[in-house]
Amino acid sequence: MDYTMEDTQNSAPESLETTKLSGAGQRNETQSVTKRLQAELMQLMMSPSPGISAFPNADGNLLAWTATITGPTETPYEGLTLKLTFDFPNNYPYSPPTVLFKTPIYHPNVDFSGRICLDILKDKWSAVYNVQTVLVSLQSLLGEPNNASPLNAQAAELWDSDQAEFKKHVLSRHRDLDDEE
Amino acid sequence: MSRQANCGHTSAVFSLVVKFPGCYQDALAPPAFFRSLGLPNLAALEPVSFIMSNSSNMNALSADEMERFQKLSNDFEPEAPGLLVSAKQSSQSIAMEYANADPTFATKTNALAITHPMTRVMKRDGNCGWRAMAFGYFETLFSFRDLLRVEQERIRIKSLNYTLDQVGYPEHLYEMFTDATDEVFAQISTAIQNSDPDESFLVNAFNDEYNSNSIVMHFRLLTGAWMKLNRAQYEPFLEPIPLDQYCATEIDTVRSEIDQVGLQALTDGVISNAGFGVEVLYLDRSRGDAVTPHQFTQNCPSDATIRLLYRPGHYDIIYRAEQTVNVAPVVNFQYAMTSDYVSWDQGALSFDANPHLMAIPNLMADPAFAMGGAPMSPVSSVSPSPASPYRLSPTQEMYPSPMQSNAIIPSIPVSSPTPSLPSAAPPPMTSLPSRSNDGPQIRLNPLVMRPSLNHLPVTAPFKNSPYNQAHFRNQDFEPIHWAPNESRK
Repeated sequence: MDYTMEDTQNSAPESLETTKLSGAGQRNETQSVTKRLQAELMQLMMSPSPGISAFPNADGNLLAWTATITGPTETPYEGLTLKLTFDFPNNYPYSPPTVLFKTPIYHPNVDFSGRICLDILKDKWSAVYNVQTVLVSLQSLLGEPNNASPLNAQAAELWDSDQAEFKKHVLSRHRDLDDEE
Repeated sequence: MSRQANCGHTSAVFSLVVKFPGCYQDALAPPAFFRSLGLPNLAALEPVSFIMSNSSNMNALSADEMERFQKLSNDFEPEAPGLLVSAKQSSQSIAMEYANADPTFATKTNALAITHPMTRVMKRDGNCGWRAMAFGYFETLFSFRDLLRVEQERIRIKSLNYTLDQVGYPEHLYEMFTDATDEVFAQISTAIQNSDPDESFLVNAFNDEYNSNSIVMHFRLLTGAWMKLNRAQYEPFLEPIPLDQYCATEIDTVRSEIDQVGLQALTDGVISNAGFGVEVLYLDRSRGDAVTPHQFTQNCPSDATIRLLYRPGHYDIIYRAEQTVNVAPVVNFQYAMTSDYVSWDQGALSFDANPHLMAIPNLMADPAFAMGGAPMSPVSSVSPSPASPYRLSPTQEMYPSPMQSNAIIPSIPVSSPTPSLPSAAPPPMTSLPSRSNDGPQIRLNPLVMRPSLNHLPVTAPFKNSPYNQAHFRNQDFEPIHWAPNESRK
């Protein structure tokens, strides 16, 4: 008789399970993270910044986003589109998201697996930073690498010594990703 | 057995540190290292003691080794144990921690346990100072049990949102922090309405990590906004770091510890307008037998002051011993008992200041007399013995009690005095102390006990005294009733 009830039980056993298992505090926390990320998404859509975009992954998990940065003009990255992933921890924004370059990139502060060395993604993270500010910071990092603490020492050296050669390395390493990747 | 071994271990680490007091400022000794020092969790100390024992002669290390150690200690993050905010506990625990440490610490912590018997331990997670201040703020607010005041504070804190807007924090980002603070105000109001006996609900709220971090973040942002709006006040203390950079890297972050400038800004911008005081007690190796107090506010009201104990790299909340309300007026009554006593201000008194009159206690409560105009104030010649004002046995002979000699009818019942009685002889005598075996007893006029009534007119010093004969002509006069043998309250 009660099809609605039956439906719920059949179709979403996991969600029921999680609701039962998680304590009140946990649920509150998840709600807060979700609310915060929704607010950020809304902001990104309402007032987009030029050259950056970000959106949650299609799987409905709000804790994983894909973002793109367009290489700023007058930098070796001009005209390139760079993809990144954002993974938000459960206690976001009290811990920074894990941000990785998915597009292969040649940059003094990014290693070959796409890991980024940027203080605001580590100990200088603030809870008022957000997807937008991180992307804007990364955009400016492309034009102004911090060569004092490089992850890619060769790139740092080349940036200082030979800009033309540097740009060649950037272009040879760059590879546009398909949408599915 | 193992406890003993642990103690030795701890003290070894401490004595090593003590040998290098300069380390606190030393770039070679990163904060993470010192943060670990007070940890009861000795497992967390393991890597530290390893480094220290290998480097007892630090200068002999090669640059490579130095770098390796630097990296080791940079990466070393002790797993901070315990609750974010503990329950109130005895300060003896702090004294215990330092029992085998440097004698200065031992002396100071032992003294501290007496003057400030209770403490509340904060987790060493990089937010201890911030969290201690936020918790202290709400705890103090709750201590008044005043719904109106809670509401006033809620509105005041909410109104500070405009400062966040002014310095450019977007509302959709700070909303979650202000919501968390708002929730605490609501909890306090509920607790007052429910007559909650203690602040355990507040401790619980602050131990929900996400919630707790939201509140801390709110206080951080308010502090940063305040600094940016009052630059001139703080910039000189930050040089050469630009204020905006300081706020971005020290105030707005999620785990950088509060420093002196930040604490001052937090106090000025958020706490002090609540009428609360802020005092920090510094436990260090400076000279002296007690911790060094520093007040961050002009006033530190005894019932509304947040007190923090600072040890290098860490803040805890500390609570002063309850001030015993001492109703005894701080007046030395003895000086009035000297018989070779001359008038202290001849010009001001129209009556003959004979020593008997001087025995009247009310007079002495008047600061106008104590301060006196005469430079040779008799106060200075008086023995400063802090005898109880109620019992003046040494002055037995000095107290002639003229009324006593006249007290022919001491047994008059005083249960129903009728002030309207036209009798010319009301029973004032019964209110006088009878000379008992252990000396005269003086029952002070209750008015003396009230500091606000200290200002008796100089020209009529007996106005409120039972010895004032003028009372007897007053229709409404009612003597003070007192049974000498009645036990004192």
